[in-house]
Amino acid sequence: MRGFLLRLARRLVGALVMIWAVATFTFFLIRMIPGDPVAAQLNMLEQQGMSESQAAARVAGMYGFYPKDPLPIQYLHYMQQMAHLDLGQSISYTGVPVMHIILSALPYTLGLVVTGIILTFIVGVIGGVFAAIYRNTWVGSSITVVGSILHGIPQFMVALLLAYLLATAHPIFPFGAPYDAAISPGITWTFLSNLGLHAVLPIAAFIISGFGFWALAMKASVVTTLGDDFILAAELRGIKPSIRFRYIARNAFLPLFTYLAIAIGYTFGGAIFIEQIFDYPGLGLLQLNSIGVHDYPLMQAAFLMITVAVIVSNIVAEMLYTVIDPRIRTAR
Amino acid sequence: MATQAATRVEQNACSIRGLTVVYRVERHEYAAVQDVDLDIPSGEITAVIGESGSGKTTLAMAMLNAVQPPGRIAAGSVVYPTAGDILRLSGKRLRRLRGDSISMVFQTSQNSLNPLKRIGGQAMDLARSHGRDPRGTLREARDLCAKMSLDADRVLTSYQHELSGGMRQRVGIMLALVLQPEVVLLDEPTTALDVLSQSEVLQILRDLQRERRFSAVLITHDMGVVAELADRVAVMYAGRIVERGRTRDVLIRPDHPYTRALIRSIPRLSGDLSEAVPLPGLPPSLTTIPDHGCVFRARCAYRMPICDTVQPPLESVGPDHDSACYLEGFPSD
Amino acid sequence: MNTIVSEEPQALSTYPSAQTPRHRPSSWAVAWDVLRRRPTGLLGLAILLFFIGMAAFGPLFYPAELPSNPSNIFAGPSPAHPLGTDFQGTDTLALVITGSRYVLLSAFLAGLFTAVFGTVTGLISGYYLGVPDSIITKLADFVLTIPSFPLLVVLSTVWKFGSPLAMGLVLGLIGWGALARAVRSQVLTLRERTFIEAARGLGFSSVHIIVKEIFPNITSYVAMKFLLAVTGAIYASVALFFLGVLPLSTNNWGVMLQFAFSQAGAMYTTQSLPYLLAPLACILLVTFGVVLFLDAVDEMLNPRLRRG
Repeated sequence: MRGFLLRLARRLVGALVMIWAVATFTFFLIRMIPGDPVAAQLNMLEQQGMSESQAAARVAGMYGFYPKDPLPIQYLHYMQQMAHLDLGQSISYTGVPVMHIILSALPYTLGLVVTGIILTFIVGVIGGVFAAIYRNTWVGSSITVVGSILHGIPQFMVALLLAYLLATAHPIFPFGAPYDAAISPGITWTFLSNLGLHAVLPIAAFIISGFGFWALAMKASVVTTLGDDFILAAELRGIKPSIRFRYIARNAFLPLFTYLAIAIGYTFGGAIFIEQIFDYPGLGLLQLNSIGVHDYPLMQAAFLMITVAVIVSNIVAEMLYTVIDPRIRTAR
Repeated sequence: MATQAATRVEQNACSIRGLTVVYRVERHEYAAVQDVDLDIPSGEITAVIGESGSGKTTLAMAMLNAVQPPGRIAAGSVVYPTAGDILRLSGKRLRRLRGDSISMVFQTSQNSLNPLKRIGGQAMDLARSHGRDPRGTLREARDLCAKMSLDADRVLTSYQHELSGGMRQRVGIMLALVLQPEVVLLDEPTTALDVLSQSEVLQILRDLQRERRFSAVLITHDMGVVAELADRVAVMYAGRIVERGRTRDVLIRPDHPYTRALIRSIPRLSGDLSEAVPLPGLPPSLTTIPDHGCVFRARCAYRMPICDTVQPPLESVGPDHDSACYLEGFPSD
Repeated sequence: MNTIVSEEPQALSTYPSAQTPRHRPSSWAVAWDVLRRRPTGLLGLAILLFFIGMAAFGPLFYPAELPSNPSNIFAGPSPAHPLGTDFQGTDTLALVITGSRYVLLSAFLAGLFTAVFGTVTGLISGYYLGVPDSIITKLADFVLTIPSFPLLVVLSTVWKFGSPLAMGLVLGLIGWGALARAVRSQVLTLRERTFIEAARGLGFSSVHIIVKEIFPNITSYVAMKFLLAVTGAIYASVALFFLGVLPLSTNNWGVMLQFAFSQAGAMYTTQSLPYLLAPLACILLVTFGVVLFLDAVDEMLNPRLRRG
């Protein structure tokens, strides 16, 4: 337990450093945008009739620093604001705190991505187990072939084809919003089922494009485990097939956890396409749209939030792994 | 009672007849075990000794009807008094026999244990798989641990990576004995251990066997282990048994030239190291075993013309002592 | 001995060892031999050569400004326009051919940069260990953690990805992490091998050991990763244009997809289907070619796979 907490603490410190680095990166990136959006914003506000100090205060509200301060002071103010979890004010949604906008978009992305990762993982692992067990029959080889093909098709193409086939050419599933405008949100069956129906295609896109990766990885892992000596030993000890299956499954399953970090990053990164194609109002779409309207505080915050989500998910996955693998749990 | 005990001793825990196991190598089948007859007397330790590649482990696997592809049991029978010919069993009946009335101790026990399950849990899986009472099995496991001077509480709640090599091997013995099998197959039980652990494990095996009187088959390449542990010994060479008998008889009056060479090759602590004479040449590999004539003739110092044509049959050379060699009366050496 | 079944028939264990020396007579002969026995690998190579030819010479047959025809938009396939026309009445086939150069060239450069950055950092990190190692490892972790597309979208505000070189450089800069890690772990195992220790004992310089002794042992691995990085980069560059955050002034497959998706309203009509499918098909075909070819390359470089 102490080792676990120690490891968690170390990871959390690492995560903070990484988040700091990303925040610093976006701070300097915004200064490098051609045409200096901060100065332009200040100019515009002054032309709209604000006094210089009023305008500067408004810009400071947006970006977290006074545009006329020297750079180090600007950076300091910006970091102070970040430390208070204040991400500034949106430009396109005039005066609305960026945090509000982000928090309203976050559930959609999290919902899509977390459901997507978990379902993809489950479907892929089951497919991989079958592919391994029936590897010498047509069942196994067709899973392997389908898996390799799906693995080769980029995610956004899968989403594009799904949207085209099942929403445009054959309008089976709704698309274009997280739920029908006529339905008021709440914990009602009508709302939840509608929400689920709208999420079918985006999540299906995750599953179809991620299936191959997990199925192939699981297949390889099961085949390796089947050749392990302790599986033969279990057979020679007359261990029941059901228990032996659990031995194989668990030992083959564990190494996959090390890939989970890659999958999490990949899925969060891919969400930007899924959200764009299905017009789903998550962080990715928010980030894309904010660039179109030059709302840089929003863009920066959306990017930061996506990164934080990836980092936190990675830590959760890693801690889960240390809990279920006794070799790591007791080592060190 | 007394007569019953006497007949029990006479009875065989296992009878192997005409056992032939072949391996398929590039579209040809080669015999790794050829026409082996062997009785495993009840309540005794029977050693099977041979160099690597002699077919001794294949023999052990065949005794569990567990020869792995590309191997295949081509002929013969392995009869246990209660279960019948194991080679005719399959599915659930075969599984219920393995680990229950016939169990095995593996050469490297760390590879025979599930790395993600505590030792106690694996003992429980064994009980559950064979319909035994879990509590009784646990009691038996603790008992065995205590006899092997293992801290039962600690070992049973440990994962295999938390145990030393010697401890793992004792755990392997515990798992093999916990269901009180009639026959235990010991596949090189001490080979992977350091010298100190080796003698400990040998001691444990001797004590446990004396106490429980299980029948054991000891697969080994080490004549020293045979001398220490076995009541009887069968010498294997190139898939055939070339000599068998009571350990004392075979050690004192070896008949087959191969057995004699094996005994001569043991370095003795007390003797002069130069007296240990290594056997010249190499044993044949699976694909180079001669298909007629004596399998040992290529390395034999007493080769005769007849050795080239017909494999000598196992014939009695003394009470309860058989050998497969044409040579009669050894020239003294 | 690591097996519980202590003996196996000796003839069965005659696999060549995993550490077969890399220096073999005429690798061209081996390559040709493998390709001949594996027609799929030859097919993959043919597909790749076809697209390389398209990217290199295709644009020469078309004017810099492709003709448009407002009275013939979204035409179906016809002898004059084998793949139909787009929303401006421009020939789709012409767009596909002229659009291949940017995509393939930037993907090639991205693969090259990824391979170079990843290999150099991995070699340094695995060989010198210590401070350079921990810096590089942390950097690689960082690059691997940041989700790349959101990052690219943010970068698009300052970086316009106008030339294939600019695109390839950025993709290489954010894509080197995984390769660096893999190379590092390979170097770590190589370090322990006797010929490296011998070279060190003989007093060869570190640079000599890295370049002459270690690098040749990982070239095949790096070559395969290079090909994989190229396919990844094709997706990435097309995807970035598809997202619509980059200027759509030049013509390439990603721009085509973006227009098909947004301008032409492919998602709401069916008439632009050929326009949407043509670049998709090209991308899939290139991927297919790389996968087939890679399979054969894998066999050429990995002696254990060579005999069925």
